[in-house]
Amino acid sequence: MNAIVVRNLTKYFTPSKKEKKKGRARNPSLESRKQGNNSIIRAVDHIDFEVKNGEIFGFLGPNGAGKTTTIRMLTGILKPTNGEILIFGQNFWNNPIKAKQIMGHVPEEANVYMDLTGLENLSFIGELYGISKKERISRAEQLLKKFELFEKRHLKSKKYSKGMKQRLLLCMALMSNPKILFLDEPTSGLDVQSSIIIKKLIKDYNKNGMTIFMTTHDMDVANEMCDRIAIINRGKLIGLDTPENLKKLKQEYQAVDFYFTKEAKESELENLSSVKEVRKIRDYYHIIVHDLNDGICEIIEYIKSKNLKVKKINTYEPHLEEVFLKMVNGGDDY
Amino acid sequence: MIIKDNEEIFSEELKSERFFIQVKRSFAIAKKDLKIYYNKGPVVIQGFLFPLILFFAFTVGRNIIPIYLISGLMAMVMFMTSTSIGPVVFPWETRSKTLERLIACPISIKTILLGNIWSSFIFGCVFSIVPLLLGILFFGLWASINILIIILGIIVASLAFSSFSLILSVPPTDMPANTMILTILIKFPILLLTPIFMPIHAAPYGIVSPLTYYTDIINVGLGESSAFGPHGLLLDFCILILFGLGFTFLAFVLHGKTLQKRFRG
Repeated sequence: MNAIVVRNLTKYFTPSKKEKKKGRARNPSLESRKQGNNSIIRAVDHIDFEVKNGEIFGFLGPNGAGKTTTIRMLTGILKPTNGEILIFGQNFWNNPIKAKQIMGHVPEEANVYMDLTGLENLSFIGELYGISKKERISRAEQLLKKFELFEKRHLKSKKYSKGMKQRLLLCMALMSNPKILFLDEPTSGLDVQSSIIIKKLIKDYNKNGMTIFMTTHDMDVANEMCDRIAIINRGKLIGLDTPENLKKLKQEYQAVDFYFTKEAKESELENLSSVKEVRKIRDYYHIIVHDLNDGICEIIEYIKSKNLKVKKINTYEPHLEEVFLKMVNGGDDY
Repeated sequence: MIIKDNEEIFSEELKSERFFIQVKRSFAIAKKDLKIYYNKGPVVIQGFLFPLILFFAFTVGRNIIPIYLISGLMAMVMFMTSTSIGPVVFPWETRSKTLERLIACPISIKTILLGNIWSSFIFGCVFSIVPLLLGILFFGLWASINILIIILGIIVASLAFSSFSLILSVPPTDMPANTMILTILIKFPILLLTPIFMPIHAAPYGIVSPLTYYTDIINVGLGESSAFGPHGLLLDFCILILFGLGFTFLAFVLHGKTLQKRFRG
């Protein structure tokens, strides 16, 4: 069963009077998607995707691509201009309260109540989800312990560091034990400790069956954590697959650097069937291959035949970041 | 927590249950509002300082009989305090992005507004008792007082003015100062139109102000007769209830229209 199905999801914004007067959108990155001063801004433009139950689904895109607008529509904050959102087969907008009952949301910007303590913030959210007092105190304390905030539970949230606030936000989203967790840039701008804690706990919750939908512009986070990734640019979905399959789209980046003890002949290396191109850079050879595995085997055979000795080998696998840049800048449609 | 295809994911509840669940959740919003906003600048200025300053401005050097002094003070305190939290909550929460957090929870905009009404209502009720106690202590008004009328009056008026205060936060701004300006521009003329610290018939134009009807209720509760005839008290309550319902309905509709504009960009 799919946890989320999105069909033809669209969000257009009409510029406010102020924006029309100034001739610019509130979010400058949306400006490029605006046609003329008075026209609509296409923040999300007819996108379709499915999120499988129990997977970590990454939503990647540059700033202003439409990631946050999408997550806001999926969590019921923004009403779509067009399209359909199904949560476990039920239309979200037929009964948004019912759908929201099984969701948790961690927004990008810390929006805890600064004048409430960590424990009060959690208890308040628990109350909004209809959790009994005894249960919400017990759940809150468990979460605070898990996220290493228990010692500071009686401290007002305004005294928390950014990382602590982000962890508290995650606790708030997990208070209701949601079936789907939405995370908007969960590790953005965090210290290493908070980032590690959050990533580990997200994985743990996912292992227990929680579906995770996360937006990020951090390729390493996406690569490390996500089962599948969708790439959005200028409001349109331009790619959707597993990180491994997406990386295959960037095959030409498969290369290997060989450091030999003595000079090799570039022309001979170039004549090898699995080699595409050879570049001599300082004391090593940067060899671009069709296939990394075949290439290395063939080059090693060549080395043996020429009695060369290898000092060091570095391999280059296609990186998700390169795929992302290629898709975003190259405008490749998926 | 792995979900199987035949597992029931969504809990089913009846429409009536849904209503009571939402009302219960609105109390949580009210509790939060009272905890957070009672000591915020605009609330302190409009809820405490303005009534105090205006009281002295209206009364110093004038020979006012105790009943009008206390009913006037109660009217002013009620109006100013019950309308002090409502206008600031929405812009404040828009700015701090906590409104987004609330909307993502399983509650409707009506639940949030209802929560705001409860918090303003409690604020208005609690502070209206202070001038009443002053009147009983210093002017010996306890002899002629009808406590039931006064309590009912406080409850109905506090609800009416609390819902009125939500209309003031309809513009989708994230600057509490903007709503403060609007609030002052609307609240002060209402206050000036109301015949407080004087007999109601002395200012016939006062009938346009809802506060006049609350003042009349308090006058009756303190032993005066109603300015609107033998059924005046009933009229006062009916008008305040109508104002309250009308403002609540209007707040639900208007906030529903402007809500999306708060999450733009």
